[in-house]
Amino acid sequence: MAIMNIREAIVATLHAEMERDPDILLLGEDVVGGNGTAGGPEAIGGIWGTSPGLWAKFGPERVIDTPISESAIIGAAAGAALSGKRPVAELMFADFVGVSLDQIWNQMAKFRYMFGGKARCPAVVRLVYGAGMQTAAQHSQSVYAMLTAMPGLKVVLPTTPADAKGLLTEALRGDDPVMFFEHKTLYGVKGEVPDGDHRQRFGEARVVREGGDATIVACGRMVNFSEKAADKLAVDGIGVDLLDLRTTSPLDEDAILESVEQTGRLIVVDESPPRCSLAADIAAMVTERAFTSLKAPPAMVTAPHSPVPFARSLERAWVPSPQKIEDAVRRVLAFPGRSGQ
Amino acid sequence: MPLDSDQLLHAYRQMKTIRLFEERLHDEIKTGEIGGFTHLYAGQEAVAVGICMQLTTEDKIVSTHRGHGHCIAKGCDVIGMMKEIYGRAGGLCKGRAGSMHIADLDVGMLGANGIVGGGAPQAVGAALAARIDGKGRVGVAFSGDGACNQGTTFEAMNLAVVTKAPAIFVFENNHYSEHTGDAYAVGTADDIASRAEAFGMRAWRADGCDFFSTYDAFAELLEHVRGGNGPAAIELDTERYFGHFEGDPQRYRGKGELDRIRAERDCLTAFREKVRMEGSVTHAALDQVDEDVAALIDDAVAQARADAEPDPANVADDVYADYF
Amino acid sequence: MTTLTPFTMPKWGIEMAEGTIAEWMVAENAPFTRGTVLTLIETDKITNEVEAEKDGRFVRIIAEAGQSYPVGALLAVLSDGGEASAAEIDALVASFRPSESGFDPEASSTPSPPSAPPATSDAAATDIDPALASPTAIQEARRLGVDLAQVQGSGRNGRVFAQDVHQTAYPSPSVSLAGPFPATPPSSVLSTPVARRLAALNSVDLSSVAGSGARGKVKRDDVLAVLKQTGAEAPSPPAPDMSAAPAGDHAAHFDVVPMSSMRRTIARRLTEAKQQIPHFYVRRRVRADRLLALRGAIQGERPSVNDFLIRACALALMEVPALNIQVHDKEMHRFSGADIAVAVATDRGLVTPILFGADDLSLTDIHGRMASLAQRARTGKLRPEEFTGGSFSISNLGGFGVEQFDAIINPPQGAILAVGAARPEPVDDDGAIRIVPVLHLSLSCDHRAIDGADGGRFMAALAKLIEQPHLL
Repeated sequence: MAIMNIREAIVATLHAEMERDPDILLLGEDVVGGNGTAGGPEAIGGIWGTSPGLWAKFGPERVIDTPISESAIIGAAAGAALSGKRPVAELMFADFVGVSLDQIWNQMAKFRYMFGGKARCPAVVRLVYGAGMQTAAQHSQSVYAMLTAMPGLKVVLPTTPADAKGLLTEALRGDDPVMFFEHKTLYGVKGEVPDGDHRQRFGEARVVREGGDATIVACGRMVNFSEKAADKLAVDGIGVDLLDLRTTSPLDEDAILESVEQTGRLIVVDESPPRCSLAADIAAMVTERAFTSLKAPPAMVTAPHSPVPFARSLERAWVPSPQKIEDAVRRVLAFPGRSGQ
Repeated sequence: MPLDSDQLLHAYRQMKTIRLFEERLHDEIKTGEIGGFTHLYAGQEAVAVGICMQLTTEDKIVSTHRGHGHCIAKGCDVIGMMKEIYGRAGGLCKGRAGSMHIADLDVGMLGANGIVGGGAPQAVGAALAARIDGKGRVGVAFSGDGACNQGTTFEAMNLAVVTKAPAIFVFENNHYSEHTGDAYAVGTADDIASRAEAFGMRAWRADGCDFFSTYDAFAELLEHVRGGNGPAAIELDTERYFGHFEGDPQRYRGKGELDRIRAERDCLTAFREKVRMEGSVTHAALDQVDEDVAALIDDAVAQARADAEPDPANVADDVYADYF
Repeated sequence: MTTLTPFTMPKWGIEMAEGTIAEWMVAENAPFTRGTVLTLIETDKITNEVEAEKDGRFVRIIAEAGQSYPVGALLAVLSDGGEASAAEIDALVASFRPSESGFDPEASSTPSPPSAPPATSDAAATDIDPALASPTAIQEARRLGVDLAQVQGSGRNGRVFAQDVHQTAYPSPSVSLAGPFPATPPSSVLSTPVARRLAALNSVDLSSVAGSGARGKVKRDDVLAVLKQTGAEAPSPPAPDMSAAPAGDHAAHFDVVPMSSMRRTIARRLTEAKQQIPHFYVRRRVRADRLLALRGAIQGERPSVNDFLIRACALALMEVPALNIQVHDKEMHRFSGADIAVAVATDRGLVTPILFGADDLSLTDIHGRMASLAQRARTGKLRPEEFTGGSFSISNLGGFGVEQFDAIINPPQGAILAVGAARPEPVDDDGAIRIVPVLHLSLSCDHRAIDGADGGRFMAALAKLIEQPHLL
């Protein structure tokens, strides 16, 4: 076991996997950084610091700095994957999915199915997402729900360094396109990371807290916020099962249902607007399949139905907070009455 | 037609305002009071001012993530901008935009843009709208050497050519697409304008660190476009004095590079030198402008600091014009 | 054939209680078309026109211009166009019940249909501005006696939905918290969190469990199956406090208290009962919303829920006499009246005073007598004949928030009913899901004398009485 942060875990995993598998290549904007400048290549190593040392070790054929051309980056990854390689394409901000959506949505997601199961498209798209840094409407979005909705894509959201390593390794060894979401506020989160080969299967939720009174389902940064809420609730003797989904496609439905069957109460936390969201998806699934276990309606803790604002006061109001999660748990426990505890 | 002294003073005032606005932000950002990403325009002032002072408020511009210069040159209220960047309720966009998305539709500024290449097609749309209105107005897309590699930019140029839209593509080559050099990222790094020509439009080339070079080339171009000859492009060779965003350590810069471009490629110095040689404006008048602008920026920062943060209760306002 | 419908005083806004007919704009028997203004009605706020919703005629105009009538009052009889005989019209007028009558305890003695016909309630619902509340919310507010103005609406512009009414009407449950559990270690076996928790609690090696989930994932039921095979008890949920002190430490922490003679009697009798009587249990959940609403509508001194249940049990025992018995060795004693023992907790222990002939007592009588019996039970002033005998017992722990429990039969009685708290739960309300207070009832029967079918019949009769409380 080594202690490292999520950023370091990603860098270490990319190094290890590229060493192990010569078919892996990395491409994206400034993943090398400094190409064509007086400072020279490797002046950056990605603006998020997630790719230093790769270019020096694996060379320009496998570590490719691209122009600012997101459609071409993702499309090239799709083509390379169809040609037997394992590309890792980096979108500096997940919002740029908007620029490159066709190559994800109509192309790589559908190859295998359209081509009668004969095609392999083992592309990993790394997307930096999330609000909390006042990066405003076009650099803060959590677009995992829309990609989760697309058949053919796997969607992964690590929240710990161990999972960052395990899930990225799993992504790089699978044969399906994987959308690998990295929350921009979580890169510095530290934790133990298993040494050696560590794979974390998709579709297996992580149990963060255990308790019998309510089930909180979350992903990404909302897991950390939910932990804070759970700690405060525990002081009052309220115990929650907190599930970190790890992957939203595939979704660990069994873990959610079994927990709700025990607690009878569901709170889904989702860092995105509520409509057609992951929260809505899970609330609907539980309502459909665990209706008889529910003691209260599922609660969704989401952002409002609006873009992400810039101003600090507005962004704080937009992001689901630990306080909002705690309030939701208390509301659900008080149902059908309105009084919080 | 040579510019009169009022026009010259106006041009200088605008460039100086942009310069001091950006340099002040560079300092203020370090206090931590300003959140998010801020991309500074300092070094490129001659481009924004040389172009925008020839446009009317009815001509439209679409800007980039590095948009403060375009905003000021197009006539956005400097205090409203500062408040916006500080994320205050009195900002031009009520604190929702921040640096990256400032817009002021009333002065024909259709928005800074967080998406590289996001703006060019919109400028074509503005141009097509202007043609319907029939007043000879134009739509101008500011793009950098980064955006010149986006598919949207190519699609926009072709659309403008085939529709003969009065659209103008301004390519500001500051030689860095974020942290990567144009020599690496742009296949025609020494001639971005040739891309526009390949799509079938006329292109001009000028020195984007020289106000007069930019102004004169754009004057010709504008006459061409206002004359109903379809779209046109201009490439300006210019310099970025700061990093890609504030906080960028700029390790990609060569040794002494920043000192050199500030010494040799400063549009303000060049402007002063030129008017001194010609005797068209006195240095005393320019010094007075410097003083006025410094006071304006002080005032803008003071007002921005004093302004209230937006009420969180309004977080979901203005999502739609009309919903229910 | 001519269809007659009542034309009633509309309800404009939640505060409107009555309206005045300013003027009739059409004459009796004069045909009119859709959209014709029929009458002008004044309230203390507005004067409004009432337009015809369809073609027709008034075959009788009852309300007089200038007079005030309460909301829901019959103003006229509408025909869809055809003529109607005076007898037909008289029949409609005679059978008309204003929709606003509510749960008037006086009115409940007159027979009325089990539930209002849908047409009536729809009409009532549309009287209120639909922008303020959904039709069902309006009905529910009326049914539960909730003032819509006090409800915090969750809809657009604060529009009230049924659940908002329910959340105002119902109290928060007293949740007995399970609390946080200790973390179970992660596992290398593909498994659900609950399966891991179960395995850890019961020392099951997850890798030895065959998973039935996708890709062999071990699920809860897989672990339970292994536990069953190995004969282990089905695990109970983990205790909230896993760090409880070991048993040995308790030795120093108790006092020795001799049992009172009463306690010893209770102990002996219940031990005998549990050992000698072959108990079987019949459980049923019963919606209690109408009963609670009926009770809520009673002015003045209200009978308790338990009083209602005593009355319901008494009537059900009359309907199913097989339960109204005592069991004595080789005989069964059948009773003609319902002598019902009611468990009362006292400082000295459980006392079960008996309400003799409860089937002949009104609710008010039951309430009065029970109050007196309970009071004297608590003060130890019951006479022996007041707690000896009886054919049936009721034990109600609802006051403690108990959801459900099973009681031990009080010999020689044949059965005992255990009653839990009324808790909000979803019920199927004619195809719609509604959250209403639900009682969990558990009937313990002596199988020597009573068969399962008897127990089932009794519970069916009891459920009907509770769910249609006007029958009480």
